[in-house]
Amino acid sequence: MNIFTILLLAGVAIAFYVVSVYNGLQKLKTQIEASIQEIGNQLKRQASLIPNLESSVKGYMKQETNIFKMLTEARKSVTQAEESGNVKDINKAIDQIQGLVPQMKVVLESNPEIKSDQTVIKFMNELTDTADKIAYARRSVIDLTQSFNQKLVTFPSNLIANAFGFKKEVGLATPTSGEHLEVSSSEMESPKVDLN
Amino acid sequence: MTHYQLVSSNKRRSAIIMIGFVMFVVLVSWVLAGALEYDLSVVGMALIFSGFISFGSYWWSDKIILGISNARIASREEFFDYFTTTENVCLGQRIPMPKLYVIEDSAMNAFATGRNPENAVVCATTGLLNKLERAELEGVVAHELAHINNYDMLLMSIVTILVGMISLLSDWFLRIGFSGGRKKSNSDNNSGQIQVFLMVAGLILALLSPLIAQLIKLALSRKREYLADSTAVSFTKNPVGLANALTKISLDQEPLEVANKATAHLYFADPLKNHHGGIGMFAKMFQTHPPIEERIKNLLSIA
Repeated sequence: MNIFTILLLAGVAIAFYVVSVYNGLQKLKTQIEASIQEIGNQLKRQASLIPNLESSVKGYMKQETNIFKMLTEARKSVTQAEESGNVKDINKAIDQIQGLVPQMKVVLESNPEIKSDQTVIKFMNELTDTADKIAYARRSVIDLTQSFNQKLVTFPSNLIANAFGFKKEVGLATPTSGEHLEVSSSEMESPKVDLN
Repeated sequence: MTHYQLVSSNKRRSAIIMIGFVMFVVLVSWVLAGALEYDLSVVGMALIFSGFISFGSYWWSDKIILGISNARIASREEFFDYFTTTENVCLGQRIPMPKLYVIEDSAMNAFATGRNPENAVVCATTGLLNKLERAELEGVVAHELAHINNYDMLLMSIVTILVGMISLLSDWFLRIGFSGGRKKSNSDNNSGQIQVFLMVAGLILALLSPLIAQLIKLALSRKREYLADSTAVSFTKNPVGLANALTKISLDQEPLEVANKATAHLYFADPLKNHHGGIGMFAKMFQTHPPIEERIKNLLSIA
């Protein structure tokens, strides 16, 4: 085996490696896009649940105008998120919907006759499950973004990534500084829940 | 420590065992074949034999286990939490959803099988489904999906085939070696001494290696259980759910009626309840699953 054959084989091996890293990065990028769309998909599913929930509890909760207001707000923000598709709107919609679940639970606890109604039970389960699904859809984006960004900073894949101009993926960007990360002294006190 | 490091360290440990096992297999094959002065084609034959026998159980593992376990399909209406937690974990990992089955038994247990994620099956007992909260069930389901995702069925089948091959070689060695079936060699004194050495080594290995291979297989099985636990946490990001499920299961004393020694290793926790309070170190080597307290401790270290 002379030196030229060795160099040729080494060259071929390196070329294969470069191609596989490049393809891997492109694949991850596409998967990240698809996963962000999946969040929108889950939000849409939840949006269609909300009108059903409203109608099933309307009979019981005439006094609970607060809940209806929240439901309407949630539905509006989901439609907004679906239309714009940007991450900030998605996050807002998720916050509003996920804020619904504990509030609904509080109302149910104080109203035994609603609580035992089968339709309401079924819908509460579906609502909880859909909140879970949104969490998992987000998790998928987070995991894929992590895999992708990891390749951009570890050796030797970072060389290939830089050579082809791959940029760090944003994923579900939450700002890493800001007041939402701080807990004020008033928030440290136990909340008082008024069920009347 | 986070689940990332736990998953890496578990993967590393099971890789070390696999490498050690392969080296062991190579050593035994070489010694046994050499001692009888056969070439390595005899090893090839043993491998094919063993492969033939075990291949069916690998390829149709899902149908076989369901057939002997009295399982029925689990519907979304009847088992909402079981179905939706599986759906959700699969969504998070972008893997196809396995077929879900249920066994009517008050003992708490679950298993997963299938040669790859597209042909996977997860089965749980009604006892488990009734006694666990949603978050705990999610942990158990994630553990089972982790087994499927890590191709544990494939790995353990390969190991089983190799263990079978070792057993066959040892068996043949003991029969042939002592019934004068050896090839006659016109070697001189020098290689005669090497031959004697190989015969002695071969004899020891032939007697001990099936046992050693089995122990290595069991050690690997335990490492894969730890890996499944930590992978499950990387799926759900909730170690406490699975830890609580394990606590509940450890308190459940009932042995699972449909399980037996052949299927015990597939289950979530040792279904035959072979552990009594203090287990000696020797007995620990023969367990398919690590002790539950160790598993819980492992999970809570990243909680």
